[in-house]
Amino acid sequence: MTEIAGKLFSWLNTRLPIVNTFERHLSKHPVPSKVNFWYLFGALAAVTLIIQIVTGIWLIMPYSNTEEQAFSSIEYIMRDVDYGWVIRYMHTTGASLFFAVVYLHMFRGLLYGSYQKPKELVWIFGCTIYLAMMAEGFLGYVLPYGQMSYWGAQVIISLFGAIPYIGESLELWVRGDYYISGITVSRFFALHVVALPLVLIALVFLHLVALHEVGAGNPEGVDIEEFLDDDGVPLDSVPFFPYKVLNALVAIGVFMTVFSIIMFFFPEGGGYFIEMANFEEANPLVTPDHIAPVWYYAPFYTMLRAIPDPLGGLIVMAAGVAIFFVVPWLDRSKVASIRYKGIYSKIAITLFGVSFLTLGYLGTVGVTEVRKIMSVVCTVIYFAYFLLMPIYTKYETTKEVPDRL
Amino acid sequence: MILSYLKEDLIYKFIFLFSILLFSLNINAAAGGACKDYGECDVFKYSLNDIESLQRGAATYINYCYGCHSLKYSRWGRVASDLQIPEDIFFENLVFDKSIKPGDLMTGSMPAEESAKWFGVAPPDLTLVSRYKGDDWIYSYLRAYYEDASKQYGVNNLVYPGTAMPNVLMALQGNQRLVCKNIPVLARNGGEKRDDQGNTITKEKCGFLEVEEGTGQLNKEEFDSLIYDLTNFLVYVGEPIKATRERIGWYVVFYFLIFTALSSLLYREFHKDYNMKKGKA
Repeated sequence: MTEIAGKLFSWLNTRLPIVNTFERHLSKHPVPSKVNFWYLFGALAAVTLIIQIVTGIWLIMPYSNTEEQAFSSIEYIMRDVDYGWVIRYMHTTGASLFFAVVYLHMFRGLLYGSYQKPKELVWIFGCTIYLAMMAEGFLGYVLPYGQMSYWGAQVIISLFGAIPYIGESLELWVRGDYYISGITVSRFFALHVVALPLVLIALVFLHLVALHEVGAGNPEGVDIEEFLDDDGVPLDSVPFFPYKVLNALVAIGVFMTVFSIIMFFFPEGGGYFIEMANFEEANPLVTPDHIAPVWYYAPFYTMLRAIPDPLGGLIVMAAGVAIFFVVPWLDRSKVASIRYKGIYSKIAITLFGVSFLTLGYLGTVGVTEVRKIMSVVCTVIYFAYFLLMPIYTKYETTKEVPDRL
Repeated sequence: MILSYLKEDLIYKFIFLFSILLFSLNINAAAGGACKDYGECDVFKYSLNDIESLQRGAATYINYCYGCHSLKYSRWGRVASDLQIPEDIFFENLVFDKSIKPGDLMTGSMPAEESAKWFGVAPPDLTLVSRYKGDDWIYSYLRAYYEDASKQYGVNNLVYPGTAMPNVLMALQGNQRLVCKNIPVLARNGGEKRDDQGNTITKEKCGFLEVEEGTGQLNKEEFDSLIYDLTNFLVYVGEPIKATRERIGWYVVFYFLIFTALSSLLYREFHKDYNMKKGKA
């Protein structure tokens, strides 16, 4: 029996690079031996992506993408499909937690300079993943066809209308109708379940291939490739499998505990993961009192609202996302990690974190005069963090980075 | 070296504390104002394991509300089995249309177009009302009707001013009126203010709900508990799986705690092994 299995395996292995791939990317892939908890969110993002894909496939089966049945098919899933509620709550909780871990993953990148040479492409693929996620999240949010789906989509699609000359026709082209209707729902469905997942999977693959080519970073910003043992393996490294896999497994355990607490006890996330108004079927004749985006778009929504002119707001909002792409060329520091950067960088990243959170908060509450001023101030700080980066990273005194981890 | 570690730590701590501050601000912002003229909504605590309360609530709903408000995502048989009412008793006492089967949806009996003419607006389906209005809101709303001759049905509501729904439960509750009361004026120290003779100084304040005694079939406690059961039923019908979900949740969380513990033991074991090898090399 084992002989047959061995033969079958070697038959396969001579035709498919199984052992090679396993060794290159897992059992012999060197990763830094000392990292902190910030380096676990990438693995958690991968876990969430898998959860979203698997639960998504099962949700497609009973979901109906028509104007008449979209909303009631969700209730059908919640009531009549066996364990449909588990699948659906996993998907809604997963969506929010996907963004949460990705935001933390991105902040890690900014903290420890994970975009610096030669990791520019890893960073850019990551930014593109984030962009695709934003689109994916928005499209998915429209599918239950509740009040907030409808009016949220109305607000977002009308943003295209702010673009000069082509705006209105573009808006019509995206919607496929003069107002949001079943046509919009069914095309968003196609994009949400086929087009963007394909893009996301491809991008994640590229993100990982590029990462494995240049090697993972560490919180010290030390280049582990400098000191190798006799076999050419970095001295400050451990093989990815099993050491890092086990490390990730612990993180997954903690993450899934949090995930299940939310999913089983607070699936609406206090109105932030599933908004209350979205339990009411879409009604083109009644506008909800307060249209708020889901929390993960809130910072950018605040930027949009901070600018009185619609086109200006759109440009600022788009720039807020786009500016991440050029971070590798904005940072002129000799060191990667915040630990060895100077005081300006430390102040800058703290202010950036605070302003980003404040923008997020402001996006979920109504507008008052004070809040309007706050949102302008925070938008300015947000952009200053990036735009002044070439200056403050170049002219600050950095600390000496050690040779070894 | 140590100083730089401290500083890095401070960044996280500062941002973390700040996010907690924002979060608490947000919770406060979300809570206020939903109950309009009523002020803060009364707090409702559901008890979905109290089957008798749900049964009473279902009976009240079907007798008083179902005539106008459908529960179109819910099925008759599901309600009967979840509320542990034997199907024959359920169908005999609570289902008035004898052609209905257990698998049928509770689609209501009033034609939407006609009712829109009668009430100005078609009575909404209430399957999910507990999810888009919240249980606190329902519990407050149903107890906040008062006499107002200027309205079509002679009543108005503090929680939902100008509501199109008549007070269907008036026969049970009795005539509720908005009254003015003499309220003791509070001094700065929190005590009641008194005049020279030692009498409490009062001030007239209006907007209190008061039921005219003897006009309703139920007293205040009985009526409140009727509304409690009704709201509890609406919480159930908004998400029939809720009680099961919370029950299963404990097992799942427990499972992942064990999973975390075991995987961290495994991780430690492997690292011991690895460090030993490194030490030898």
